Amino acid sequence: MAAAVTLDQLPKHQRARITGLLPSADFGNLDALVTVRLKELGFLPGAELTVVGFGLFGGDPVAVRIGTTKFALRLAEARKVAVIALAEAA
Amino acid sequence: MSTPLRVALVGIPNCGKTALFNRLTGSRAKVANYAGVTVEKRSGLLTTPAGPVAELLDLPGTYSLHVTSYDERVTRELLLGHQRGEAPPVAVLAVVDACNLRLGLRLVLELKALGRPLLVALNQIDLARQRGLQLDRAALEAALGLPVVETIAIRPDGAESLKVALGELLQHAPPAEVGPPLMLPPPAEVETRYHEVEALLAAAVRRPATLPAWQDRLDSLVLHPWAGPLLLLAVLFLMFQAVYAWSAPLMDGIDAGIAWLGAGIEGLLPDGPLKSLLVDGVIAGAGSVLVFLPQILILFAFILAFEDSGYLPRAAMLLDRPMRRFGLSGRAFIPLLSSFACAIPGILATRTIQNPRERLLTILLAPLMTCSARLPVYALLIGAFIPERSIGGVFNLQGLTLFALYLAGIGSSAVVAAIVQRSQRQRHDWPLLLELPGWRLPNPRQLLQGLIERARLFLARVGGVILAMMVLLWGLSSFPGPPPGATEAPIYYSVAGLLGRGLEWIFAPVGFNWQICIALVPGLAAREVAVGALGTVYALSGQDSEAALASVIAATWSLPTALALLAWYVYAPMCLPTLAVARRETNSWRWPLIMAGYLFGLAWIAAFVTYRVALWATT
Repeated sequence: MAAAVTLDQLPKHQRARITGLLPSADFGNLDALVTVRLKELGFLPGAELTVVGFGLFGGDPVAVRIGTTKFALRLAEARKVAVIALAEAA
Repeated sequence: MSTPLRVALVGIPNCGKTALFNRLTGSRAKVANYAGVTVEKRSGLLTTPAGPVAELLDLPGTYSLHVTSYDERVTRELLLGHQRGEAPPVAVLAVVDACNLRLGLRLVLELKALGRPLLVALNQIDLARQRGLQLDRAALEAALGLPVVETIAIRPDGAESLKVALGELLQHAPPAEVGPPLMLPPPAEVETRYHEVEALLAAAVRRPATLPAWQDRLDSLVLHPWAGPLLLLAVLFLMFQAVYAWSAPLMDGIDAGIAWLGAGIEGLLPDGPLKSLLVDGVIAGAGSVLVFLPQILILFAFILAFEDSGYLPRAAMLLDRPMRRFGLSGRAFIPLLSSFACAIPGILATRTIQNPRERLLTILLAPLMTCSARLPVYALLIGAFIPERSIGGVFNLQGLTLFALYLAGIGSSAVVAAIVQRSQRQRHDWPLLLELPGWRLPNPRQLLQGLIERARLFLARVGGVILAMMVLLWGLSSFPGPPPGATEAPIYYSVAGLLGRGLEWIFAPVGFNWQICIALVPGLAAREVAVGALGTVYALSGQDSEAALASVIAATWSLPTALALLAWYVYAPMCLPTLAVARRETNSWRWPLIMAGYLFGLAWIAAFVTYRVALWATT
């Protein structure tokens, strides 16, 4: 069950724990900045999140909840977040 | 009175800084439920019970001092004292949303590292307690090593203890230092900061707040793959229908009141310039704009309710993907939606967009969103030329026409954006990373306050710039008098008449008569002035001045002319204040000139095509 995936692959209502932040070519020289901002917003190794919903017709972006705070991320940003899925749905 | 000591209000976006600022200083700055309402600094005075007077600075919210967008940079530069001509604050009031402690406390730790005297306000503590938070304030104070005060910004007495604490802090704060600007301490590892935050929470929080389950259920619906978009469409459609359908009785009432007033004055005064000025200039001119107050208030009631509920950022998220095709992102949604009220706050709101190119494009597109000042123009023409008929028993043809005009603006902005997008190579994406705030029921008191504020602004415009333009126009339209043996109405020979006839050669191909040309000119100061100007022009043209403007133009214009004027107003850059604010925000004349040029071109082409097609279709 505890397969290591990235946030963009999770279905709605899935709970997961963040294991790390990955570099990505999508943001070019801004990548380090995007990583720092994600961390500042609480996307840190060990944090638990739940997928809340998706954009139009179930596509990009994805909305997640960390604790009591919700964020919308594009799938490109979500691909930077390595997670392991947690067993029970929220 | 001693010189006020500067205190900066700092916190993450949407934690209630402005609500607290309003509470402390008695101001009425705009508050809403999304990140980035405040994009400029704003100050107000506050006398603390202990004596010192503070100049409180309300700054744009920021998640951190290190990674910043344009509006967040304002906050950082001012805090550090890097802004030229601005004294740095002697103390900082950090606002932390008690429902969202982690993000807030992390910023507090960054602020603490700056070394300025710091006071922490735990805002929305009542809501957090309701959601199960059990927090030991004294323990948090001890663990932080900073004074911590609980506040409820939306309650009248919710900030009294904060005033006391601020007074104490200022008494011990060093006098306004004019030292060298501070350097930003090197960013600590984000993980390290969060470990400190966890330690603080472990020391002070016995039970964390949880998000009520209905919030997740509501998000499940609003962000549902199919129900979500349908809901968004329904909500927008309802808004435009309501503007038309609900305002009619109120408008009829105001109309009747104005007609009664005009007739009364007409009976009281002897014939002459004074009577003409009052009846033809003031009442026919300003009065014909005043009628639209109910429509504008209904539009604002919807916008304010959306802003307060937390729906806007969700709508921005839903629209992110379609908007990306046009070189925009969901972040451009709120500035563009604000532009439906007025392009000026819309252009200011683009400061929350991180990508500079996207920000510029959003500024250029903002005038294509139908602002509330265009509503009187549309409403007048629709009321005069589009029959009031119901379509399919549900929709009102006039409401549908209005909706179509709004769609024309939106659709054209998509086309313009797509063209700009094609001409530029997008290098890299900027992240979206949008916070979705907690849902809440719009606060009725705040909504009412917002509406009163809008009504006040509108009436001030009618009484100020619009009235002044009307009086000026009346003067230009009345003098010089007609030559002996004149066959036309006197206005035809006046200065305004000459001007209108001079402009006619540009506008004759699109079907505008010289009366319309006259009205376009004062309309540059404010769009709704055009309606007032038509009122004055026709009152002076010897038309029956008792008749409402709508029936006069219905009798004298052809349908193609009316449709062409509607098309013209979808695009026309007929608003000098918008161009001025675009100059300020882009710091150059280039962009406002490009904006005026492309909008003028589009307006003329749209009016021409509309006129010719309508002419062909009606003959």
